[in-house]
Amino acid sequence: MTDSVNFSDVNERQGAFHRRTFVLGGLTGLGIAVLGGRLAQLQLLQTEKYRMASAENQFQDRLIPAPRGRILDRFGIELAASRPNFRVTVSRDDLDDVEKTLDVIGELLPGTVARREQLLRQIKTSPRSMPVSLADDLTWDEFSRITVRAPELPGVIADMNEARVYPFGGAFAHSVGYVAKVSDRDIQKIKEKTGQEPERIYLHPGFRIGKMGVEKALDEDLRGKAGAQKAEVTAEGRVIRINHAASTEAVPGKDVVLTLDADVQQRAIEVFGPESGSAVVMDIRNGDILCMASSPAFDPNKFVSGVPGREYRLLNEYERKPLLDKAITGTYAPGSTFKMVTGLAGLRKGIPPERRYTCTGGFYFGRRFACHSTHGPQDLHAAIKNSCDVYFYNVALEVGPDAIAEVAKELGFGQTFDIGIDGQKPGIVPSTAWKREYYKNHPHPDMRKWWPGESPSYGIGQGALAVNALQLAVYTSRLANGRKKIMPRLIRSVGGVERPSGADVPDLPFAKDHLERVRGGMAAVTDIGGTGYRNSQLGLGPLKMAGKTGTAQVRNYGAGSRKSTGVQWSLRDHGLFVAFAPLDQPRYAISVIVQHGQGGGLAAAPRAREIMKVVLLKDPEMRKRMMGPPEMQVAST
Amino acid sequence: MTATSLTRPGERNRIGSKLAEIDWTFIGLLCVIAGTGAIMLYSVGGGSFTPWAANHIVRFGVFLAMTLVLAMVDIRVWFAISYPTYAVALLLLVAVEVAGDTRMGATRWLEIGPVSFQPSEIMKIGLVLALARFYHGATAQAAKWSWRLLIPAALIAAPVGLVAHQPDLGSSLLILGTGIAIVFVAGITWRVVAAGAAAVAVIAPLMFFFVLHEYQRQRVLTFLNPEADPSGAGYHTLQGKIALGSGGFLGKGFGLGSQSQLNYLPEKHTDFIYASLAEEFGFIGALGLLIVYGIVIGQSLRVATISHSHFGRLATTGVTATFALYVLINAAMIMGLAPVVGIPMPMLSYGGTVMLTVMIGFGLVMSVRVHRYAEITSGRGTLL
Repeated sequence: MTDSVNFSDVNERQGAFHRRTFVLGGLTGLGIAVLGGRLAQLQLLQTEKYRMASAENQFQDRLIPAPRGRILDRFGIELAASRPNFRVTVSRDDLDDVEKTLDVIGELLPGTVARREQLLRQIKTSPRSMPVSLADDLTWDEFSRITVRAPELPGVIADMNEARVYPFGGAFAHSVGYVAKVSDRDIQKIKEKTGQEPERIYLHPGFRIGKMGVEKALDEDLRGKAGAQKAEVTAEGRVIRINHAASTEAVPGKDVVLTLDADVQQRAIEVFGPESGSAVVMDIRNGDILCMASSPAFDPNKFVSGVPGREYRLLNEYERKPLLDKAITGTYAPGSTFKMVTGLAGLRKGIPPERRYTCTGGFYFGRRFACHSTHGPQDLHAAIKNSCDVYFYNVALEVGPDAIAEVAKELGFGQTFDIGIDGQKPGIVPSTAWKREYYKNHPHPDMRKWWPGESPSYGIGQGALAVNALQLAVYTSRLANGRKKIMPRLIRSVGGVERPSGADVPDLPFAKDHLERVRGGMAAVTDIGGTGYRNSQLGLGPLKMAGKTGTAQVRNYGAGSRKSTGVQWSLRDHGLFVAFAPLDQPRYAISVIVQHGQGGGLAAAPRAREIMKVVLLKDPEMRKRMMGPPEMQVAST
Repeated sequence: MTATSLTRPGERNRIGSKLAEIDWTFIGLLCVIAGTGAIMLYSVGGGSFTPWAANHIVRFGVFLAMTLVLAMVDIRVWFAISYPTYAVALLLLVAVEVAGDTRMGATRWLEIGPVSFQPSEIMKIGLVLALARFYHGATAQAAKWSWRLLIPAALIAAPVGLVAHQPDLGSSLLILGTGIAIVFVAGITWRVVAAGAAAVAVIAPLMFFFVLHEYQRQRVLTFLNPEADPSGAGYHTLQGKIALGSGGFLGKGFGLGSQSQLNYLPEKHTDFIYASLAEEFGFIGALGLLIVYGIVIGQSLRVATISHSHFGRLATTGVTATFALYVLINAAMIMGLAPVVGIPMPMLSYGGTVMLTVMIGFGLVMSVRVHRYAEITSGRGTLL
């Protein structure tokens, strides 16, 4: 074959070229025709579909979180409120370069550097058009630094929203509770409960969900309803204009008014100091809970923006359990504060109040039951005053567990109350039925039987008996009220709608004089010679307090000393005190539990006294009685 | 042979004669496209000549002057520089591989002093010239089926491989397509064409799974089902279609395209400018421009058929193929008929590189037209 190009070949070459070029041109023409057809399909046939898509793009439904309702104390003081929060957020869609953006943010806000990995993960997993918060609570200086640089950082927005604030810090940590970010577990729960995807608002970076106390229980009421704003936005999220006609306003959450009194509650937290325990104060006329404090507390403000894992672990592992609400969740043996129950059971079973049992420092029934002293012959009044165990050993043995349990339940033990928040533990009120039920799976049938030897301990508030501070306060209120089966109330009103009062209840099934006898004993406790005398003097003139001390045993004393001094904290006795005031015309009842605080008269009574002083001083009528001339100091009946 | 100034030996070299032989309608159509581009760039620039429209106009003006100058360059000069151009382009591609500047994850740019450019663009012209020169010296038989076809195969494979490795899928596809188009019109046997088509059907899936980069694979998947990930990889495709579809018959009006104006449309000034046009000027505008492109392609192919030199025919076809591929791939991509590859709409999109390539190409095409009767005698156009 030669390389020479002859004429016939040239012609063949040219001919082939022309044919092929014609084919190529035809193919191109076909391609353009197909594209034209596609244009017609998209622009002529499917116009509506894409018009809507375009409109959806352009007009974004922007969620406007509703302002969360406030939580107020009985005088309208804010226990939980909102404050302005300067923050910086970023939305994934509009970011040019995540790494670079975080670099710049890190320069401006050094605090974000440590959380870089976490932020990266959050940004990558965030849903479309839902910004991620990079930093909250910026100072004005930081906020302006970000604002200045924002134009060169697409997707980064510095703005202001509302953050929850708890002005009293830890004082209401358990009762009011706190809000926190919606966790993955919360989302899971909502999905399980409603069977569908949670609303978009849950994913909003500013949205918080109630996690404890009133914040949790009344979350729906407090939350309000998020509004939607139809806004014309650029792809970067910059708002061009807002279509007000198509927007819905956010419905603010309802304000919740509690029966609590911020001053009393704060005083309670103060007097506990480092001690662990709880105090509950109730108005015995209507059941309003003025104070329901649990110590030690934690700062709920830290939980709002997310408490660091290390800090949470420390709180969770601390042996004094700051995260636990000891007023309603923690249950304890009531010890001697329970003796009024045993006494009432005796009276009901026909034991005359004058009957004396002689205390020789101990009591033999199968084994020796010790008393803390040798009191000699004791009637009901003296037995309550001196807290003589032997008297109540005898009464308990005589009336049996079911009679005691019946009275205990009438007075508020072994049950939970509808106070509107979660976490109440009913505790245990032992009885023959309870024991049968409790040991129903025990292999030995004897375990299901109540043995008389168990009764003496029950009589002095020990054994399986377990109560919480709220029950003790209800119990004391009912004793002090003397007529009504007062129910506690924590939530006074929600959105202006009053919750039913605790006074709208049936009467107690006890004879008035029986209750008077018991109250008389309590008055003697705080009078000269009583177990609580020294630490229960209010110093408010005519306003006196009646009460009952209790020291609940945590360990078996064995042959050793009853004294708790020198014993490790977690094995020391619980100190308890229940009281009401004023003595002559009761208005307020209090229960104080000092966990491992040793003697009730020593640890609990002085704290109850301090709290009660504030309660009485805040009552204008009480102040008038105390300060007025002697003639006016007498209770008006 | 009709009697024109070109057929009279004394006159054909006069500049005036040459200028008269330029297809001014064709040039006019190029101005229409570039002008439309300027209008759209003005619109998506927020009704402003900055940052894009003014640049676009100036650039087009300069390049148009250059095209006219190139049209004057004798076809024999083009012929003479064809292999050297290819060799230089290939060397630069190797240089990019060694010392290129990486931008946005791909190494495409080469910097020499203050100038930075993409050697793959030079190669688009270089390959066309080299292939045209090769076939100029090849017999019909050799072009149909012979061992010598290994030479064009190698000429095509080398740049395609290097550019794909950068990675620049769009450009390498374009170079490959152009090469194949020249080999086809040069007269390769239909059997190879059929076998090639069959091979593509087999190899394409294999390429997809074993050769493509992850992001490239993602683009193909997205193209097949854009709604699967509307905010991620499918965003471009979906937003392009929304812009197009919402334009309707008459469009939303100049400067009123919400997709483009509010930045939902990605790359609105470059790869997706045609979608902006379709949004603001509707079916009428989009189809109209498509027809203008069609006429430009047709006119260009017509130049190929009237050239007397084989070199001129093939070079023109090659340039036209490149241009047509730009248009078809870009439009198909915007209409959701092809995966998103970084190929702009030539002369409409903002950006100097592609416009320069295309305008040099059209300079070549016009030169072929002007010198269509010239005989290329020097060199037989063979490498071997």
